[in-house]
Amino acid sequence: MSDTGNWNEAANELNSIVASFDEGEVSVDELFAKLERATTIIESLEARLETTKARVEELAPRIARVADDE
Amino acid sequence: MDSVEPLVAQPILEVGEFYELLTAQLESAYGRRHPCWVRGEVAKVYEKSHLYVDLVDAGSSSSDSKRPVLNAHCWASQWNPLKRKLAADGVSLQPGMIVNFFGYVDVYAPQGRIGFTVTEIDVAGLLGDVARRRQELIARLLSEGLLDANKKVALSPVPLRVGLVASPQTEGYSDFTGQLLNSGFGFAIVLVKTAVQGEAAPAQIAQAIATLDAHGVDVICLVRGGGSKGDLASFDDERVARAIAASGTPVFTGIGHTGDESIADLVAHTRAITPTKLGEEIARLVANWFATNVRSPALKLLGAAEALLDEATEYLGERRRTMIFAVRDRLRAEQRHLASTQQRLLMQSRHLLATATQMLAGNRQLLGAYDPKKRLAQGWSIVSAENGAVVRSLATIKVGDQVRVTLSDGSFASTVNEKNGV
Repeated sequence: MSDTGNWNEAANELNSIVASFDEGEVSVDELFAKLERATTIIESLEARLETTKARVEELAPRIARVADDE
Repeated sequence: MDSVEPLVAQPILEVGEFYELLTAQLESAYGRRHPCWVRGEVAKVYEKSHLYVDLVDAGSSSSDSKRPVLNAHCWASQWNPLKRKLAADGVSLQPGMIVNFFGYVDVYAPQGRIGFTVTEIDVAGLLGDVARRRQELIARLLSEGLLDANKKVALSPVPLRVGLVASPQTEGYSDFTGQLLNSGFGFAIVLVKTAVQGEAAPAQIAQAIATLDAHGVDVICLVRGGGSKGDLASFDDERVARAIAASGTPVFTGIGHTGDESIADLVAHTRAITPTKLGEEIARLVANWFATNVRSPALKLLGAAEALLDEATEYLGERRRTMIFAVRDRLRAEQRHLASTQQRLLMQSRHLLATATQMLAGNRQLLGAYDPKKRLAQGWSIVSAENGAVVRSLATIKVGDQVRVTLSDGSFASTVNEKNGV
């Protein structure tokens, strides 16, 4: 697990960063740091998602074979 | 010595002569040329090429040593076609049956027996009797609660362990097992071989059902391909019906052709019209279970996984876009703020400059009034000491000092000759 925590923890942190932007709480000094952190989280989540998709793609034919077995 | 006189004046017959006389008398009344119908209950029946039947009066007690018995027989040449005819209608002669025999008297002298040679059997009557016996059996099973007993036995949701009562050499066996083997499911078939027709079949079938029930299978299948009613008579047997009713395992039947309905079918948990249909039914049960418990969840799992991944992908895309727009908006807001501040500062600076300019102009105008040139032009002059300093007081000069007097159009040197204070 990366320093972004598990999926839910990372998503919660990302949501809070986005919320801080929505609420205008981000100063220019913080902006880059927050953007960098958000980018790190998004890339981490995307990487995990891609890995999961690949694994599901491997398993899907096996499940489909069961499902199609009449 | 006493002499013995004949009691009557009749010729003394030899035994053979007696039988000849008797046979002639009987045949003249009930012989081959004078056949008759005889009704009776089958007490014993035995077949060895020829048919041998002991016929008694219906309802008579076997304990009655004096009840009349007719030893009937039907020679093979007569019996074989009759037997086929009966078999086609599902009838086999059994003790207890009421039958009508057509035939003639037959005296068999070597054993001193008077018999009855059967040439015809009233099949219609027999059929009626068979039907009556069948209905009586059904009524008994119903009154004992056995007709539905096996139907109340819970069926395994996935009957993969199949107990099979059949004869392996028959089409019915092949049709049934073919359906299971081609279904794609892993059926485990436990076969108990039995005869499926003939006198031995009912007992074997009943025993096979009990054996499989004790063995532990999910379902017991009773299989027999098509045939004449006689071929299928074993499945109307009371022993088979009671074995099915007593079974703690559901018994399924696939007996005969469409339209054949045996008592075994009536008592069974489930009845299929043929062995093939029974195989299909068993396979369908497993297929339904598989569809409900494996296939459907698998499809749902696939769909849920795809939906979850799509949702996560959509979420990340949205977050990424939101983040980009949020940062862009934030930077633009800062730019606008800076631009606004810059504009405000510019305006304020311009205002300050205009104010200062205005103030300077006023001062300049005020200072203009004090311009020395204007004073010089009015006739005033400025006296400077040798060091260039303006002489403002007599105290700063003394007599004999050189001074310079400046006028509006030039200057000249002068010497202080005297000082006069005011």
